[in-house]
Amino acid sequence: MADIGRVRIRIPSSIKPGDIVKARVLVIHPMEIVERKDGKPVDKNYHFINRVIVTYLGKEIAQFETSQSISENPFFSFSFKATEPGQLKVTFLDTHGGKYEGTADVKFA
Amino acid sequence: MAARAWRGLVPGASIIVAALLAAGCAQGDTKMVAPGLPPSPWISRAVPEARGDVKTLPDGKREAVRYRGWTKQDFGGFRTYAYDDPRPEPPPGKIAMPAGAGDPKKGRSLFLNRNLGPCTGCHLIQGNDVWPAGNVGPDLSTYGNRNLPDEYTFNLIYDPRHVFPNTLMPPWGTTGALKPDDIVHIVAFLKTQKGPLPPEPNPERNPVTRPKPVGFGDNLDPTNNPAVLRAESAEALWARKGPAGKACADCHAGGPRAAMKGVAARYPQYVAGYRRVMAIEDFLTVHSPEATGLPLLAEGADNLDLTMLVKMASNGMPVTLDLARPETAAALARGKLSFYKRVGQRAHACADCHTTAGAKGADKFLGGRLLANVEAGLTRHFPTWRTSQADVWDMRKRMQWCMTPLGMNMLAADAVEYAEIELYLTAFDVGKPMNVPGIRH
Amino acid sequence: MEGSMTGRMTRRSVLRALGWLGLSGLALPVLGTPRAALAQGNLANLGPEESVDATMKRLFGGRPIKDGSSVIKIELPLIAENGAVVPVSVEVTTPQTPQSHVKSIYIISDKNRRPLNAKFNLTPAMGQAYVGTNLRLGESTDVRAVAEMSDGSLLMAKREVKVTVGGCGG
Repeated sequence: MADIGRVRIRIPSSIKPGDIVKARVLVIHPMEIVERKDGKPVDKNYHFINRVIVTYLGKEIAQFETSQSISENPFFSFSFKATEPGQLKVTFLDTHGGKYEGTADVKFA
Repeated sequence: MAARAWRGLVPGASIIVAALLAAGCAQGDTKMVAPGLPPSPWISRAVPEARGDVKTLPDGKREAVRYRGWTKQDFGGFRTYAYDDPRPEPPPGKIAMPAGAGDPKKGRSLFLNRNLGPCTGCHLIQGNDVWPAGNVGPDLSTYGNRNLPDEYTFNLIYDPRHVFPNTLMPPWGTTGALKPDDIVHIVAFLKTQKGPLPPEPNPERNPVTRPKPVGFGDNLDPTNNPAVLRAESAEALWARKGPAGKACADCHAGGPRAAMKGVAARYPQYVAGYRRVMAIEDFLTVHSPEATGLPLLAEGADNLDLTMLVKMASNGMPVTLDLARPETAAALARGKLSFYKRVGQRAHACADCHTTAGAKGADKFLGGRLLANVEAGLTRHFPTWRTSQADVWDMRKRMQWCMTPLGMNMLAADAVEYAEIELYLTAFDVGKPMNVPGIRH
Repeated sequence: MEGSMTGRMTRRSVLRALGWLGLSGLALPVLGTPRAALAQGNLANLGPEESVDATMKRLFGGRPIKDGSSVIKIELPLIAENGAVVPVSVEVTTPQTPQSHVKSIYIISDKNRRPLNAKFNLTPAMGQAYVGTNLRLGESTDVRAVAEMSDGSLLMAKREVKVTVGGCGG
């Protein structure tokens, strides 16, 4: 999977100060699931995203603890209150030490 | 496979030969081939798992080479729509019903068995555990009330074509999909399906009252459809120099979106330089190595991603089909014949599931899947993201997938036969806007 | 926080105290010598395969869980076309203020081997307690959303989803 870690974020194009805005984010990632051999789970360091950190204006506003039962190429959407223009950042951490980031600029129309 | 002329090996070949004779061409002329077909069978330029190869193991058994996770079973005994496959449809078979009482419990278990049918793919029966049954065939929940003779039911399942010559139902016994003893158990089970029916616990259980699938949302939203990101990664491929020192960008200036605008809306088309019908995927397998030195093997990720990128440049534009050339018209006629040809162990034609005329399956449920109607235009959203596969599938892989559970060996992804079926299907997309990549289950 | 942390501080006891046991490994400070077998994705850090009742007990102990169906809106298809990608969203309609807000939303699928799909930790800056994601489901199941409020109270709602398959054995 060549593009592991590519992130896309979408927020609405016209935002007014104080709006509660829905953000959508997707990251390319295999979200490896547990293999079974003869009915028993195989032990290995499965490769999946286990933490998502959302920061806005440099402050952390949400953190998700995720598991292998989130779909491959994980998608998340969430609300946040657009108080000031600035950067929304979503950081993905995976079990193999991977760290992937995507950003969107909050601009008021 | 030794190179052979297509001459005389095409379905309806007698019609084509007659036309050629009428045009004053001699049948014995080795250069004469059916219009629209290349002079020799096409050599596949697909990745190894997409070529439709069958290999012989050291112990002499034959094993099909297919995509990872697909069955390796060889279905060589059943006919396909390869143009050099002259086998007729197996004639309806009949045997005496074996003696002995069938076991209704075994019969029910066989009826639900996904490795065999399942019969519930087409037929609803009683039971809250029945999920999901389809309605391509009649509801059998009260079959037992009809009190039909056991032999009649046995013969019907063994080979329904005796009673219904144009049936969609596979000839389970004739082609060996079900053993005679299996059918005896199923007959015993069907006799237990009697009314009055219990009240329906959920409307979804019965395919007639089941809500239709809602799909997966906006296919062009990159936060919804990973295929959009895959296509974007082909922009780097477009600009990169291949082994011959050239890039696509060197001849096609302005970037892929500008340079390729409108191109894909005209495909598939007959490409005179290669003397065959080609979709974008096929064309890339020959054009890319010639122009840049980079082989873009069919069903390789690069070929799929670049195909998406090229097609996206025509998004919103209406699909067109130019039938002025005799080669194109002949190819479309062959594609239509293939579409209606009954093939494989299940003796299904594409038309059986994907058209509505004559009580065929389109717009009904096959198991849990609503069968798409070809008249809606099915080609313009391919390649598509498949959520169940977490991967991009083009039209060819979709066809190869269909062939496999129907009990036949798939053809190479870039086979001319597939291209001509795709050409026929494209006729239903004419005038409708391109919308690539799609997103489906 | 529960109980005292005297005695040997192991990675497990830290995780339990933080209420995060059973979830995928987090980037916590490593206590003692790191061992290769305890890489974040190894079975020991994935939490146990267990029934949903065991998951609920492990996450919430004996704490009362109120019916939240009047304030928790779960969007989930009635029929999922496959178990690989099942879109879900959860919205808690009570206002998200510094005084009273949803601290966490747990999404739990009863029939999954490890029922907890994800835990969303939120702050008042969200403006609204709304999250969405795509779930992997092993089979038809109830999906429940548990909202933990800033005062520690718990609310729950659930919806059923049937996972469908094709009809040709393929």
